[in-house]
Formats: sequence, structure tokens, C-alpha cells
Amino acid sequence: MGIGLRQPHYASVLSSLPPLAFVEVHSENFFADGGAALAVLREARAHYPVSLHGVGLGLGSAAGLDPWHLDRLARLVGSVDPVRVSDHASFARAPRGLHGARGEPTEARTVVHANDLLPIAFTEAALAIMVGNVTQVQERLRRPMLVENLSAYVSFADDTMREPEFFAALCQRAGCGMLLDVNNLMVNALNAPDATPASALAACLAYVDALPPGIVGELHLAGYCEITEREISEGETTKLVIDDHGSRVRPGVWAVHEHALRRFGVLPTLVEWDTDLPALDVLLGEADHAAMLAARVVAGVPNAHV
Amino acid sequence: MELGLREPGARAARGLEAYRANAEALAERALGASFATVRTMVGDDDFRHLAREFWKADPPLQGDLGEWGGAFPGWLAAHRAMAPWPYLGDCARLDLALHRSERAADASLDAASLSLLETADPDCLHMLPMPELQLLCSAWPIATIHEAHHAHHTNDDAQERAFGAVRSALAEARAENVLVARDGWRAVVHRLDPIEAAWTSSLLDGASLGAALERAGPGFDFAAWLGRAVRGSWLKGVAVCGD
Repeated sequence: MGIGLRQPHYASVLSSLPPLAFVEVHSENFFADGGAALAVLREARAHYPVSLHGVGLGLGSAAGLDPWHLDRLARLVGSVDPVRVSDHASFARAPRGLHGARGEPTEARTVVHANDLLPIAFTEAALAIMVGNVTQVQERLRRPMLVENLSAYVSFADDTMREPEFFAALCQRAGCGMLLDVNNLMVNALNAPDATPASALAACLAYVDALPPGIVGELHLAGYCEITEREISEGETTKLVIDDHGSRVRPGVWAVHEHALRRFGVLPTLVEWDTDLPALDVLLGEADHAAMLAARVVAGVPNAHV
Repeated sequence: MELGLREPGARAARGLEAYRANAEALAERALGASFATVRTMVGDDDFRHLAREFWKADPPLQGDLGEWGGAFPGWLAAHRAMAPWPYLGDCARLDLALHRSERAADASLDAASLSLLETADPDCLHMLPMPELQLLCSAWPIATIHEAHHAHHTNDDAQERAFGAVRSALAEARAENVLVARDGWRAVVHRLDPIEAAWTSSLLDGASLGAALERAGPGFDFAAWLGRAVRGSWLKGVAVCGD
């Protein structure tokens, strides 16, 4: 089991060196030419395998990859020799002001970077873009990568395939693997119209069952929060579940995780905690719980949650 | 613009709002990390508005927000609402220099190369600055302002003295030159007098030692500067021209 290594925990992890299978960092935080963060990463690498998890390649961007970004990632991969490299099935780069005020196309503009994980449509066209971009990354890095499913707060009307089908095709065509974020499954399921905890759990389990065995290379776990707000136009109160990585993993997410372990076998598992970071022991406790679940699966103990 | 979203109007708006709120929080967090002095000077609320406005005016082009904000000092200096504080742009330039210094390539002094100073013709030597070294020459007391905002004031009197010094320096429109270097991993500010600033400018421009000495003139104490440069980790070494 691994944890996301974030700045507030640098000193305590490196002084206590807890037993972890790996640590994962956000690649973009180490793109600088030098400085303290890179020195910490080098030190961490001396003690742990490091997984480089990107948030900025924008693999689903029709505008293509940023050569600068790919150069920096390749340099980091060369110096860290990571155990895995991953990023998201999202877009981030787009020409600014693609359309004029009346919707007409305008001349080529500067390509901006959203610095967010923006959702893509699950269509053949989006798949072709993803396959091309993932292939470009893998050829540059000379290694396969993992692509993670998103938590998305909007989706597209022109989807022609379901998400697990999209990932199966992506992995098959690009030769990459999938990083399955179990929390993201739950966030999306809970944000679906008329979702209940039971329907969301069922949707997550069905998603896991729809993925071909063998394509998943890593699992992510995290916490989410719920925002209650009033929709002014409809005069009713609604909830939005936000993937904020700011609390313990929820029981339903643990249940789906255990189900995934039974389907895919025990896989490297990461507990992410990015906002309101707790004391390191709390985060390590979550990783211990993940290890305990993996041990149950290996021992053949039935899933009590499902 | 038609986005072709599956969600009905209110749900789509709610989802898009989540992305918009995230972008605004990111803008504030990223710029706040790079421009700590400016943030303190204008206050959190105004800084939040400025960060959101700047995100729209000059959005990131790269997926590393540590690289974003190069245009912020100029944008801030030209911002109509900031006109009463004409030194703010240069304070932002200093913040940016500190931020970039802490991200610059790591290097260490090649002490053996200093022996070239005894044997080689100065016209054939270059002093090699550390990659993080940056010189700022301002018409405003940027070092005094920076110090007042970042020094650890042990009591209210010390703080009042520091900000009193800022008021005096601003009142006399004192120009200050600073060298940004690294002390360990942390970027620090060194004050330079005009002669030292001219000398440092020559070095950073790649002038030979001989040419830089000639430009600095007889008032420049090279031996004293060398001691300070070695102690302050400003120098990577000395090289023969063309090497």
C-alpha cells in the first residue's frame, strides 16, 4: 500500500520512514530545474519506490500535448526511475476563444491550460484523441502508462459508449493500463440523478464488473465531501458530492475497493489525501486498512459489505 | 456557447460552478504562493480578486502553476486600481525573483576554479554566477518593504520601526538594488549599492572579469565582493573564456 506524499508530511515521512510499498507524488510539483521539493523527492526515492502521478498532461485534449510538459515529465522519469507513471482521462488544453461572439470559428489562438481535470465525452472521436496522446507519451517515456478515470461534475450528451467500455478500448488500442480511482466511481454515482447510497454502490460494483480483468494496474482511494445547496431556479435543495481528497475513505468506497481486489487481484493501492491533511498517522491508518482488506481477499474471507 | 451537456440546466450549472470555483481557488493559491509579499501588502480579500482577474487576463499556458505568473508584476503595475501604490509592481518583481530562484537548478561552488584568479588574464576569465542569482534595480525601496513584511518582529516596537523605515524610504523615493540568491533552499534578499549592482549586472550579462572590473571603476573592492560572494553562495566558479 502507498500514500500520496504531500508537502506537510515530507519531514515526518522521511524521519519516521513508515513501511510503505510506494509513495506517489504529483509529477508537476517536481518540474522545476532544482530546489527543495526535488531534493525531498530524491531523498524519498532513496527509501521508497515512487509513482509519478500527473494531473496536467491533458491526455484528452484535442489540441494535443504540450511539448514542454512532455519534456519535463521525461526528464523527471529519467531522474526518478518511477515504479509507475500515470495521468487522467481528461482534457486541459484548448485554444483560447475558440469561437467568436456568434459562435463562428476564429483564427488560431493561444492554447491555454485549465490546470484542472476536465471531463471528456466517451465517443469514438475522443477515444482516438486519447489513444494518440497516450501513445505519444508512452513512446517518449519508453514505458506504458496508466490512465485514471475522473470524478466529473458534468457529462456529455453525445456519449456513445459507457465509461468502462471506453477504458477497455483505450487500454487495448494504446497498450496502456487503467488506474481505477474507486472514490471517483462513487462520487460520480452519488451525483447521478435520483441516486441513493444503495443505487450508487450498485452502480460502482457494476462498473468494476464491466472492466476486463487485467487492465487495471493501480487503485486509488480517497475521501469526498457533500455540499448542500439550493437550486434557485427550481427552489429545491440538492447535494453535490465533491471529490476533495480531504477526509477518510467512506465505507461504501471501501466496499467497492474490496470488490475490485476480488475481481482484479491484489493491486498497488494508494490512499490520497490532498486537502485538510491529517496527522501522518491517520493517513497511515487508512493505508493499513487497505492492507488489511487485501489480506482478507488473499485469505479468501468473503466481502462483508456487498 | 453550446456545450452539449447531458445534465439539464440547473444540474449543468451546478457542475460547471464546481469547475469555476476550483479555478478561482487555484488562481489564488498559485499566485499567493509565488507573490507572498504582494498578498500581505494588499490583503487576502483584494488579492483573491486580483488573482481571479489575472487568471482571466493572462491564463496559464502550462500545466505547472509554479511557472505561471511571469506577467503578474507588469499587469499589477498597470492595474488602474493599484495606481496609488506605484511600487507594488516592483515588489511583485522581487517576489517573482525569489520564487524563481527557489526553482532554479541546483549548483555548488567549484572552489578549485578560484585559483584561476591568481594565474589567468582577467580579460580571459568569467565569473560564473549561481543559476538562481537575480538582480533587481528598482526606483523604489523594495528591499526595505520586503524586510518589513518578512522579518520576524519580536515585538510591536520592532514592527513599528520596520514599517516606519518603509514610510521614510517611500517618502524620500529611495531607489534600492537587490540581489536574490539562495541560502540553502530558501531564496534571500541581499542589498547592493549602485557600484555593486553595476558590477553584478556585468557578470550576469556574461562580461569578462577584466571588462566587468573596468566598468565597475576604481571604487569597487573586488576582494571584499569575492569574500561576500563565496560566503553568500553567489558563485558557481570561475571559467576561462570560451571553455
